[in-house]
Amino acid sequence: MDGSFPDSKGDKTVVVKCEDVWREISNYFEGDLDPALKLAMEDHFVQCTGCQSVHDGMRNVIELYGEIAMFTLPAGFHSRLRGRLSDQVEGHKISRRAWLVSVGVTGALAASAVCAAALDRFVPRPLSEMGQPARRLPERLVAIVDGGKKFHVPGCPFMHGKYHMVTPEEAVREGYTPCIRCMRDALRSAGNVTPDFEGEERASSATVEE
Amino acid sequence: MQNRDQSEAEVALAPRSDPGHEHEAALIGRIRSGESELFYELIRPYERRVFVIAFTILRNEADAEDTAQDAFLKAFKYLGQFRSESRFSTWLIQVAINEARLRLRKSHLEIMRPIVDQENDDGTYTPRDFTDWREIPSEALERKEIREKLVEALGSIAQKYREVFVLRDVEHMSIEDTALALGISAGAVKTRLLRARLMLRDLLSPGLEGVWMGHSQILKGTKPWS
Repeated sequence: MDGSFPDSKGDKTVVVKCEDVWREISNYFEGDLDPALKLAMEDHFVQCTGCQSVHDGMRNVIELYGEIAMFTLPAGFHSRLRGRLSDQVEGHKISRRAWLVSVGVTGALAASAVCAAALDRFVPRPLSEMGQPARRLPERLVAIVDGGKKFHVPGCPFMHGKYHMVTPEEAVREGYTPCIRCMRDALRSAGNVTPDFEGEERASSATVEE
Repeated sequence: MQNRDQSEAEVALAPRSDPGHEHEAALIGRIRSGESELFYELIRPYERRVFVIAFTILRNEADAEDTAQDAFLKAFKYLGQFRSESRFSTWLIQVAINEARLRLRKSHLEIMRPIVDQENDDGTYTPRDFTDWREIPSEALERKEIREKLVEALGSIAQKYREVFVLRDVEHMSIEDTALALGISAGAVKTRLLRARLMLRDLLSPGLEGVWMGHSQILKGTKPWS
């Protein structure tokens, strides 16, 4: 069955067959047709009961599915969803706070590390693990041995090898610590506190000096 | 036709300036800035839609709810990747569709072939029934049995038609947004929509012994709602 209609420009005739209607019927309901084609299809519907049935059926399908509350959320859906999301959403917020705290702590640690590094530049690490850095220095040159860990008074029996004289500041800067044997008197005279030496002495007495 | 599809795609990709879109964009910005609890407000309007699209694909209420939850979680996790040139709702539906399809593949449910599985989109679909459809009484829409039959009919058509039909005719998304959500062209959406509507019409036709008439105990006449 055919339905003819002039197109929108009025200079052609749109011929509509049943197959054309079936192909375009969905676009017809979308309102996505050339006006001339739309009029031709509507004319066709009047003449063709079969296509009228297709038209009515599709219209009913669209209306039924579009208007009926076909899908409803299961009871408790929202609360269960919220419960499932809370760990992530609210946990995310906590973790942001934790992140800020961790940034602060990291910053503090980094600052401490920088300070420690700076201090290390001024208070060198003692070459001797058991030695204590001198708090006050003798006012005379001291003797050090290359490869040694202590600085001594020249002639100290605990000094072995060829030595050379350096200022106490240089010896300390290079990591040497005072020999508690020979330097006791010299350091006492320089004002170092006795317990430090006693502690050093107890510690070092169990080890072999240089 | 191709030019029209291209222009539709351009429109769909163009920035939206409606107030709802702007409100969502503001919400998303605040969530990204740390006000994560606003995510609940952002997704509230779309909870039902996400569930429906998951149910459409999986056809199981429990699986659909789990999938919807997974989709919302994923949306929260990847909100930073959302590009604001498209609608949030479209992006969210994309996430839900991907989650549902993934679950479907894992569960091997896709081996259950639909009752009505038609040929390719290119093939034409010929209506099978031409009996008269009279007007639908409004009270028919209230009947639970009608709803069940609609769900049953919808579940019997192939997934690719079901997805398009639900997004367009149940959730009333535009052709362009449906195309974006499914990752297909607007032309493909229209083709599948035509076939879905025709298949459902046949399935629900009062003149056929199909899903509607064949299993119904309540329909005595020649019309589903008589």
